[in-house]
Amino acid sequence: MSVSKIIEVPLALELPVGPQHPALHEPVLLKAYADGEEIVKVEINTGYNHRGIEKLCEKNSFYRDIFIVARVCGICNLVHADCYVRAIEQILGMEISNRAKYLRVLAMELERLHSHMLINAVMAENIGFENLFMNIMLDREKIMKAKEILTGNRVLSDYVMVGGVRRDIDDAKKEKIRDILLKTEERIKYYKKVFAEDSTILKRLVDVGKVSTRDAVIHSLVGPVARASGVKIDSRASDKYDAYSEIPFNVITRTEGDSWARMMVRWDEALESVKIALHVLDRLPSDANPVPDEKKLPRKIPAGEAYTRVEAQRGELTYYVMSDGKSPNPYRVKIRTPSFNNIISSGFMYVGYTIADLPVILTSLDPCISCMERVTVVDVKKNVSYKLPFKELAKGV
Amino acid sequence: MRRPKLLKLALENLVSKPATIQYPYEQTVIEKDFRGRHYADLSKCTGCSLCSIECPADTIKMRPIPPDYEVPKSNPRRLYPLINYGRCVFCYRCITVCPFNAYVSTNEHRLADTAKNDSSELSLSTLRKIVKEG
Repeated sequence: MSVSKIIEVPLALELPVGPQHPALHEPVLLKAYADGEEIVKVEINTGYNHRGIEKLCEKNSFYRDIFIVARVCGICNLVHADCYVRAIEQILGMEISNRAKYLRVLAMELERLHSHMLINAVMAENIGFENLFMNIMLDREKIMKAKEILTGNRVLSDYVMVGGVRRDIDDAKKEKIRDILLKTEERIKYYKKVFAEDSTILKRLVDVGKVSTRDAVIHSLVGPVARASGVKIDSRASDKYDAYSEIPFNVITRTEGDSWARMMVRWDEALESVKIALHVLDRLPSDANPVPDEKKLPRKIPAGEAYTRVEAQRGELTYYVMSDGKSPNPYRVKIRTPSFNNIISSGFMYVGYTIADLPVILTSLDPCISCMERVTVVDVKKNVSYKLPFKELAKGV
Repeated sequence: MRRPKLLKLALENLVSKPATIQYPYEQTVIEKDFRGRHYADLSKCTGCSLCSIECPADTIKMRPIPPDYEVPKSNPRRLYPLINYGRCVFCYRCITVCPFNAYVSTNEHRLADTAKNDSSELSLSTLRKIVKEG
């Protein structure tokens, strides 16, 4: 009997997750190859949200760029602005008052607090615990209110300016913010307990997406993802920028390295942020006026370059700013965001887990796609565009 | 039979008010210094265009003041900054760089509109109209 038909059974099923809403409301494509339920390989495709921010910065003046870099990402707008402004201050050789430094820290810690609450809420939603999602978001709203009291807007704060901050704080505002922080601290402790004890959450998160300390280091992971694998990396502690040199705080690390540990690191950091914010409110120095007169700031930035970094909510964020001393615009602004490192090197984490675990692992990395989309290289002279290999990009060239 | 743990919470929530703000009937509480809608007070504005140059969103355009308005002598070019609120990012850079403190800031955040939304009406209302005789 001769063979009339040959049926080829594929070894792996290709399953595109995204680019529309892959676990989060941000465009990234995870091309997963699954053998049955088990994931054997994941390819990560980015580039759906490219806006050319770095080029835009070169086309605008130094001062306009402060507001442009704040729009790189909504949730971490303040850390972007702070990092960029510190780079300009470094080129100018400018020292700012202690009060301004403390106020910057307060604003950044409020931002860290609401960002960590958001990603924990999204995690609760993704594992089907919508009630918890709504409760966390309700309490996060109070932090947004505190940010509104301090900076003048719930999300996009536009708070940092060369030479200080853009508005001062009085005693009535201090009391309001302290009140909100104390109330939220109780709720965060409760949510931490829920994440530590609830059987639904434990079943979905524990031992999912394990990253060993060695893997975290060789894939150059940063932020809470690295800290959950036992790597003690925190720019706040190592650089001691702004007022972090005078504020005592702990760098939270865990040794488990799974999705659950990453979420728990975020809750512990949120509690630590509350502590830092309360410390700032208690010991706010009043050495000088923190608000610079924006009309009298230097119009000309001298030639020079600066490389600064801050600990954003998702890890280390670095800015390289270069001025040629002639034009009113920066010659080059290079941004390297933490999500960029964490997401493009995350392919190895999914292997061996089921398809249902994929959104959980992705959420536990706290991806911020709008931060990382600046990767396409366009050669105008040759009229070609090409993409750099991820390996090159991970080095931060 | 053991009473379910959640019963008390469920009954409490049944009789309590909703947690959400019933927006059109109940207003959201906004801080007094919230960065809301702002416009130029044309009795102070000199038409120097600095706000237009500094605006990071390129939303402020200098426009001529219509001829039927009394314009102060400090504004010889008869220009005024027109803010397109649909494009504005409310960073308040224009307010802080204005050399004559000509901007008026409000905490008005309800900016949704069916028509094109700009500052012409608010700004021009700060000037007196020339009343033609006869």
